[in-house]
Amino acid sequence: MSTEFIPENLRQAIVRDLRPVRPLLPPWQRTLVVAAVTSAGIAALLAVFKTALRPDMSEIPMWLSWGCSSLQLLVGLALVGLALRESIPGSALPSGVVAAITTTAVLMQVVIGIATWLYSPGPVLSSGALAKGVGCMTHDTAMALPTLIATLWLVFHALPVRAPIAGLLGGAGAAVTADAITHLVCPMSDLRHVLVWHTGAMLGLMLIGWAAGILWDRRQQRQPLQFEDA
Amino acid sequence: MAADRQAEEERLIALMIGYQKGNTDDFSALYAALKQPLLRYLWTFVRNATVAEDLLQETFLQIHRARRTYIPSRPVRPWVYAITRHVALMHLRSRRRRKEVLANEELPEIPVPPEMEKLADHATLRKMLATLPRPAQEVLTLHHLLGLSFEEVGQILGIAAGTAKVRSHRALKALRAQVADKGEVT
Repeated sequence: MSTEFIPENLRQAIVRDLRPVRPLLPPWQRTLVVAAVTSAGIAALLAVFKTALRPDMSEIPMWLSWGCSSLQLLVGLALVGLALRESIPGSALPSGVVAAITTTAVLMQVVIGIATWLYSPGPVLSSGALAKGVGCMTHDTAMALPTLIATLWLVFHALPVRAPIAGLLGGAGAAVTADAITHLVCPMSDLRHVLVWHTGAMLGLMLIGWAAGILWDRRQQRQPLQFEDA
Repeated sequence: MAADRQAEEERLIALMIGYQKGNTDDFSALYAALKQPLLRYLWTFVRNATVAEDLLQETFLQIHRARRTYIPSRPVRPWVYAITRHVALMHLRSRRRRKEVLANEELPEIPVPPEMEKLADHATLRKMLATLPRPAQEVLTLHHLLGLSFEEVGQILGIAAGTAKVRSHRALKALRAQVADKGEVT
């Protein structure tokens, strides 16, 4: 190695660790990995929870039930893809675009909730609303966990230079993906239930992703740069 | 000019791929090619030659650690500058936490974009550039001095290409106004 330009301590550090590395897969291929983890995770959880389709499926038109769920799945995976893209330096999305995309994802869930309620209002929840809400939120969070964990693992094993934004997008992707399933299985259309507990779960998951990004950033700040072999 | 840039970018891509394969000569060539532009960019943040030199080493350590995140065939420079910016911002954040302040005599040493050279002497322009907000300085440095496209600048800073263009335009306009105010137009 020609050493005339390189400071000695840097040269030594590089030489000590200069082994071939395999480049990361492009974001869309890593999104497919997350999609596989998501499918397996959700299938396992549906089996564990012994979940059935919502009883009022026949009252909801196909475009609103299966159609909107499929759309949400695609949007969720697209958000995961954007989080993975954000984890590659020099691929940052404009902050305005990030804000617009995440807001649209939340609004989409709200609009689907309202449309479903218009077609099938269901019973108004009075007794046990809190218990049912907590149950649904737990269910939503559990459904989102495989996607969230896989996405954040892949994001933080790259180099997200705006880790909170990458985390936020990952959290939003996991939340939308989970809501696509919940929309098909939650038997309650009551708007208060949907907007408080399901939208709340979505916002909570986004917050978790964002907070994970902040923690990762702080950890990076505290740790001096080290080589894997050192 | 555009062909030169294209050829340089292709050379950087080939070096980066060789570096990922563990070729030490490719790392040396990459270091030689990127050292000066990265130092100029780091000056925009720290305005101090010694600190910039230290941060340059830290940047190359970070580049080394993250070398697998470079996706072959994509442009190298936005990837490298984004890492450099990350290192510089982490440094500024930790300095703010420690409440460190640079001595006045260490300020500032900012390179002058070629577009501005005809407006006034270098010393005057440097002083004026130092008065601009950092986002404006960053766009001017990345686009006018280091030759990145507005799209690449946007990818590094996390802003739209149009926003980068507007920031650059406003910064140049502000500089021209300052020069005119001082009556130093040549």
